[in-house]
Amino acid sequence: MSNKPYQYCLKKLALIAIISLLIPACSDSSSNQANNQIDYTKTYPASNGGTLIDAMTGEPSGLIAMIAGESAASAIAGNIFNSLLKYDKNLDLTGELAQSWEISNNQKTITFHLKPNLKWADNQALTTDDVLFTWQKVTDEKTRTPYGSDFKLVIKAETPDANTFRVTYAAPYAPALDTWAGLHILPKHLLKDQDINTTAFARHPVGSHYYKLDSWKNGQHLKLTRNVNATQGQAKINNLLSRIIPDKAAQFLELSADNIDSMGLNPIQYARIFPARPDLNKNIALYKELGNSYTYLGFNLKRKPFDDIRVRQAINYAINKQEIIDGVLLGLGEPVASPYKPGTRWSNPALKPYPYDPAKAKTLLKEAGYEDHDGDGIVDKDGKPLNFEILTNQNKEREMTGVLIQRRLKDVGIKANIRVLEWASFLGRFIKPKEFDVVVLGWSLSLDPDQYSIWHSSQQAAGQFNFISYNNPRVDKLLEAGRLELDPEKRMKIYHEFSKILLEDSPIVFLSAGYGLSAIHKRVRGISNPAPPAGIGHNTYEWNIPSAYARTEMSEH
Amino acid sequence: MLKYLIKRFFWMIPLLFGISLISFFIMHLAPGDITTSEASFNPKASEESRQKLRELYSLDKPVIVQYGLWVKRMATLDFGTSFASHQRPVFWQTKDKDGNITLGMIQEALPITLLINVLSLILIIGVALPLGVISALKQNQLADRAITLFVFIGFAIPGFWLALMLMYWTGVQHAWLPISGLESMGHENMTWLSRTIDTLKHLVLPVFISGLTGLAGISLFVRNGMLEVLHQDYITTARSKGLKENRVIYGHALRNALLPLITIFGLSIPGLIGGSVIAESIFAIPGMGKLFYDAVLMRDFPVIMGILTIGAVLTLIGNLLADVAYAWADPRVRRGVMQ
Repeated sequence: MSNKPYQYCLKKLALIAIISLLIPACSDSSSNQANNQIDYTKTYPASNGGTLIDAMTGEPSGLIAMIAGESAASAIAGNIFNSLLKYDKNLDLTGELAQSWEISNNQKTITFHLKPNLKWADNQALTTDDVLFTWQKVTDEKTRTPYGSDFKLVIKAETPDANTFRVTYAAPYAPALDTWAGLHILPKHLLKDQDINTTAFARHPVGSHYYKLDSWKNGQHLKLTRNVNATQGQAKINNLLSRIIPDKAAQFLELSADNIDSMGLNPIQYARIFPARPDLNKNIALYKELGNSYTYLGFNLKRKPFDDIRVRQAINYAINKQEIIDGVLLGLGEPVASPYKPGTRWSNPALKPYPYDPAKAKTLLKEAGYEDHDGDGIVDKDGKPLNFEILTNQNKEREMTGVLIQRRLKDVGIKANIRVLEWASFLGRFIKPKEFDVVVLGWSLSLDPDQYSIWHSSQQAAGQFNFISYNNPRVDKLLEAGRLELDPEKRMKIYHEFSKILLEDSPIVFLSAGYGLSAIHKRVRGISNPAPPAGIGHNTYEWNIPSAYARTEMSEH
Repeated sequence: MLKYLIKRFFWMIPLLFGISLISFFIMHLAPGDITTSEASFNPKASEESRQKLRELYSLDKPVIVQYGLWVKRMATLDFGTSFASHQRPVFWQTKDKDGNITLGMIQEALPITLLINVLSLILIIGVALPLGVISALKQNQLADRAITLFVFIGFAIPGFWLALMLMYWTGVQHAWLPISGLESMGHENMTWLSRTIDTLKHLVLPVFISGLTGLAGISLFVRNGMLEVLHQDYITTARSKGLKENRVIYGHALRNALLPLITIFGLSIPGLIGGSVIAESIFAIPGMGKLFYDAVLMRDFPVIMGILTIGAVLTLIGNLLADVAYAWADPRVRRGVMQ
């Protein structure tokens, strides 16, 4: 019989199968990474050079941010392009391409003065012609951008000279400065004969910021290299390499194997895995910063009983926000009392979130007529029990938040069911036609305080953002006034007042604002810790990698 | 035979129409479009702008009109451009007036997926054939039981979990293999040989993981086919003629047992272009599975339709090839076709 060798082969295969099942069991064996022996605690003067490798979960579709729109695109394009203005580390507006700007007495005209001798990466002069060209493109009907409407409010844009750019609005528009901080200026000399929707420029961009695109391997990585013609100063790190790794667990393995330097973490990785892995902590530093969004519970104010402020406030008191922060975010978040980043100018320091007070919630429900008359544990009014549906989209954190809320509501006699939906049907079948009771969702903690499109009573049509149908004439007035007032001090008072009414009125329950969490290899120096309000990314050009710590396997060419 | 082929070929055209029509309508049954992704739920993007985008992409027109537009484009083999990826061509590269070449999305993803799938198919055949034969010959003995157990473990084990464990073991604990991606840093500067080795090293785990699940089906298939054939009269005849056991098994039994495999391979041709979303996401491989998944999430209709159409064409061709191969391999079928 000639099948002996097969038999042998088979035994080997079976052995391999068993071994592969046992791999997790032998995970304590020592790592072979040579870098583990490097001492990353030494101090070195800041030096130039090196490559920073980070990981992104998604690939940018293009690098013209106004058309691409997704966060991966803005993250990369933000290193390549400049705007007229930017937010500094305390989230105040300051000039980027603009040296200074003036606002006319009637507050309708803004004049920007460019810094002298600005240059594109191809060494051409950057002038206000480019700024005007960019404005024309973003407002062009043919441009496929969702961000045009703010810029269409400009009724006249002109360039009296190569360093002056003047825009005039029909009425004073306070968020204008914020919009100019978000618009990447594009080079006219390269784009004037191109169709901006299809141009190859989106994949071969030429900008004016610290870095320029060196190479882009679809689905694999984008490599940026220092722009020697940068006029905003020179970045210290030579190359930024962004690898596209869709899976967070795979990113984490790459980080552990020292193949990438930086990644965003989720609360479990930050609060559970890292503390348990001293070998990782030797090489990797953790950072946390204020996040950019908050989670809320929003009421459909067109539906009973949510039109009753006592019911809304009762639910607000019934929910334990700290429990949500501890349970869902593992403590890595903050309660908020207004839709603004805590600690920044627009956030009203006098406001405190509703404390967890089930007794008060019950009293308020009673005042509103809700009591448990039939003894089934659920409060009722006119024979109708108080029950509703909490709707959210497929997002683990929001689902868990919903469960915690459900339980606390049960304590005060409110029955809530949870329904989780895929985003498109969530939006199309429930939010747009306003077919919901209560939603758990998130809004961004916007840098500009204007939130007209979310809270103003005129913004309730299908597809607009005031889908909870909030309608408060006092808030409407403040939001209108806030849009007309360009003086930061006066604006601040307006929005502090707005936040105060919003909190009292309780059209939504502010739940939590999670921290942005990241892990960065200790070879990278110059990172602000603790992070300022703008986050650790505010000074990436000052980050540096001492040559003693630079990767050796990277050939820099 | 030729007449049969031509007839089959022309039948494919109405079939393709039917498939594309059904796919197009099912795709539009799902709520939402490119303007309603979660990322676009942003107060800075106004509803008017979104409506404008819908008009630019003809998404405001009735579905049947959109289908007509799509068929019109397809008639000239134009797969269109992606909504989501800055108007990248869906299928093949285009050149603009300045000579910049933009590569097509399928053009880039397909070779990677094909390579992985062909390699894993080779792995499956190379391992499953001998395993199946041994199982059949050692029916109900220890070897048979062990093989069946092994292939079922391979089939049942969650691919993503095993992938992560193997990545940790071979990539973090021991730097034997790269963890994810297709190329190491500095790949461009390597020599031809080290580039190939580098790519192959990156492919080891993905090929192993995607082959593991296929192993069970094929090896059990071979085993059962062999068992059936081994009990046929002609095998008894061959043995009684005094043929060597090797010749009986490999010359007579195996050849006949492999016939049904032709169907399986014919049907797996369209599978060759479909990548696994989970494996591709974990290993950071920009293949067809990830491309299709992202396109569905973004409601990127041209890309979805492009992949579905190519998949449909390949399925039909695969069926045809399987039938032809049958006729070639089995005289009984050949005669049936000829009549």
